[in-house]
Amino acid sequence: MKSRTFPATVESLAIIREYLTEFSAAAGLDKKQTYNLCLAVDEVVTNIFLYGYGKSGRKGVVEIYTEMDENQIKITVEDDSPPYDPTKQKLPDEEDLKKPLEERPIGGLGLFLTISNVDDFKYEYVNERNRNIFIVKRSSSE
Amino acid sequence: MGLQVMSEVTQGIAKVTLIGEVDSASAVIFKDEVDKVALQSPKEIVFFMKDLNFMSSAGLRVIVFAKQKLGSEVPIYIVNPQEGIIDTLQKTGLHHSVFIVDSYPVTG
Repeated sequence: MKSRTFPATVESLAIIREYLTEFSAAAGLDKKQTYNLCLAVDEVVTNIFLYGYGKSGRKGVVEIYTEMDENQIKITVEDDSPPYDPTKQKLPDEEDLKKPLEERPIGGLGLFLTISNVDDFKYEYVNERNRNIFIVKRSSSE
Repeated sequence: MGLQVMSEVTQGIAKVTLIGEVDSASAVIFKDEVDKVALQSPKEIVFFMKDLNFMSSAGLRVIVFAKQKLGSEVPIYIVNPQEGIIDTLQKTGLHHSVFIVDSYPVTG
């Protein structure tokens, strides 16, 4: 397992996507899987930066662990901002997604994209750290 | 990679070209451009996205904002978006409220 640390600021987002793209290429993910993984992680990391650290005014970092086996890749994002479980948030349902844009709230789509863009998404709070876990199956294992 | 946004309003049609990536760091540039063209009350707004490589929900929020700011009678065209962006528009249902087209002006 490898890891890399990034400052908790939105300027890190592009660098994180680049890091994940390189790892995805090494793992043999296709273009669509890579895009979807980058988007899923981007949404969660943005929340950590803007709300986890941003609201409390704290400076911090996120640590991103990458690992793969023959079946899947696993990305784990850890931070020590206040606990926040994305899996407990209300996501838009089918009816919400059919509403015309004029009737929609401006937000609420980020976590929906996270959960729908990877094969599995989990959250844990361990040793006072948020741990967001993203799983993508490798195509060769399907 | 960052984001470059160019815009013009001609004969009531606002054309906004996006190059690069829209995320929470760069979405403000996109929103500022929408604000700018909205001042001229366009009858259509067209987003050229051929060279846009990534768009997070921060970009979707700007599209929702554009619709709400300009009103439901002003159509939004999204021209030639890349596969990942089309997928995002479809998953989130935004494709019900915008026109995704291969070229603009729309032919055929």
